[in-house]
Amino acid sequence: METTIPKTSTVFASLFRADLQVAFSNRRSVIISLLVPMIILFTWKPFAQKMGGPFVLSTAVAIGLISIGLMAYTLSMARDREKGIFQRLRLAPAPTWVIMTSRITIQLMMIMVLTLGVFIVGFYQDKVSLSAQGYICSFFVAILGGAVYLSLGQMIAGLLKNFETINAVTRITYFCFMMVGTMGEILAVNPTVKQMIRFSPYGCVRMMLGASMDPAKWNQDTTTALLVSFAYIIVFAGLGIKNFRWETK
Amino acid sequence: MTIDQDKYILNVDDLSVSYGDFVAVKNVSFKVMHGEIFGLLGPNGAGKTSTLSSIEGLIRYKSGTITVDGKDVKADPLYAKASMGVQLQATSFQPELNVVQILQLFSGIYGVPMSRDRIRGILKEIGLEGHEKKKFSQLSGGQQQRISLVISTIHNPKLILLDEPTTGLDPQARRQLWERIEAFREQGHAVLLTTHSMEEAEAICDRIAIIDRGQVIAIDTPQTLIDTHKNDPDVIAVSRRGKVTLEDVFIALTGKTVRA
Repeated sequence: METTIPKTSTVFASLFRADLQVAFSNRRSVIISLLVPMIILFTWKPFAQKMGGPFVLSTAVAIGLISIGLMAYTLSMARDREKGIFQRLRLAPAPTWVIMTSRITIQLMMIMVLTLGVFIVGFYQDKVSLSAQGYICSFFVAILGGAVYLSLGQMIAGLLKNFETINAVTRITYFCFMMVGTMGEILAVNPTVKQMIRFSPYGCVRMMLGASMDPAKWNQDTTTALLVSFAYIIVFAGLGIKNFRWETK
Repeated sequence: MTIDQDKYILNVDDLSVSYGDFVAVKNVSFKVMHGEIFGLLGPNGAGKTSTLSSIEGLIRYKSGTITVDGKDVKADPLYAKASMGVQLQATSFQPELNVVQILQLFSGIYGVPMSRDRIRGILKEIGLEGHEKKKFSQLSGGQQQRISLVISTIHNPKLILLDEPTTGLDPQARRQLWERIEAFREQGHAVLLTTHSMEEAEAICDRIAIIDRGQVIAIDTPQTLIDTHKNDPDVIAVSRRGKVTLEDVFIALTGKTVRA
C-alpha cells in the first residue's frame, strides 16, 4: 500500500468533467437562463434603432450574466452544500480551491456561450454588428461582469446557509436587477437615483459592456465603472469566501 | 490474523473539539494499528462523529494532535486524505451523475483514473453489473452502501474510516459488509469504524474504545472489556440474558439515560 497524492491537474480534470456532465444534464435550466437575453433581443428591436445596437446587446448580456452568475452558480453551490456533496468531495485529497475553480470554470464557459449567443442572435435578429475589436473586448468584459455576479453569488452563499433562503434571496435580487436593467435607466428621473443605478453592479457591468462593444465611446465614467466593478468583486468575493462553510451544520 | 502492535497508522493524542462553549470531545487519545479493526462506540452525541470528522479533516479541532501514517493531519492534510478512505453515515453525490460517472470522478480525484471497462469490472465484482447508467438515488440502500465502500477504498488506502456503516442494512447486507471489512483487515488495511451495534463490535472489532460525553471511558478488546466488568454490580443489574454481553458493559458504563 503506497500513499500517492494525486496531481492537481488530474484532480481538476476529473472534477471539471463531472461538473460538465452535471451542466449537460441540466441543459434545460441552461436554456432557460439564456431565454431572457434572447427575449430582450427579440422585443427590443426598436430600441436597437433608437439607442444603438450596443445598448441592446449589452443589456441582454448583462441580464444573462445575472442568471448565470447569480442564479445558476449560487443555487448549485447551495444545493451541493445542503446535500453533503461538498462534504464528500472534501474527504478526497482535492484542494478546496480546485473544487471551486472547476465550478467557476463551468460558469465562465456558460458566460462565453451566452455572449456568443447574444452576438449571433443580435446580428441576425436586430442587425447589430460590432467591430472585431468590439467583439473581442466584449468577451473580456463579459467575463469581468460575470465575475461581479459570481462574487455576489458567492457572498450570498457565504452569508446564508439555508437553501430555501438563498433561493428566495437570489430570485429577489435577480428580479431587482432585471427591473433596474430593463427600466431603471430609462424611467429614473431623479439624478441621484440615476447615478446609483449607473454604478450599481448591474449598471457598471452594462456600462462597461456597452463601451467595450463600441471602444471609441470608452470614457471616464466607464473607467470608474471598471474600478467600481473590481471593488465589488473584492468586497463580495472577500465576504463570500471568508464566511463560506462547506456544510450547513 | 496478526496485528502489528508496534506500528500504528492512526494516532489521536489528547484531542479536544469545541463548538462555541460546548465541548464535544475532551482529551481523547487512542491508536489504531496496521491490520486492525478498531471500533469507536458511544451513545448519541458522545463525540464519535466529531472525533471522526477531526481525523477526516472536516472540522478544526481545538487542541491535540492527529497523525495518519506518521504525518500530522493539520500540517499535511492532502497526504492524510490520500492515506485514508472514508465512508460517511450518509453519502451524497451529484444527483445528475450515474454510477459510472461517479466512479470516474472519484477514481480521478484519488489519482487512480479508471477506464469504463475497469469500472464495469468493479461493478461486476460487487454485484452491480447492469446498473452502470443508474443514478445513485435509484439504487437500494445495500447497493448504495457497496458503491460508497468501493469509492472509499478505490485508492487502496492504508486506513479506512467507516461511520456507522451497517445502519439501515438488512442482515444479509450487514453480514456481507462484515466480510468485506474483515477482508480489508486480511489485506493489511486498518479500519476505524463507529457503530451503535454491540453485536457488530463484538463480531468484527479487534479493539474498541467506548466514548461518552466526549471522553474515552474504556478501551480494550471486546472480550477483555466483558471479562473486566462482568462482576460489576451495575453490569449484572442491566444484564438480561443470564450471561454478560458487551451491550451490558456498554450500558453500565454509559448509563441507561436515552441521549438526544
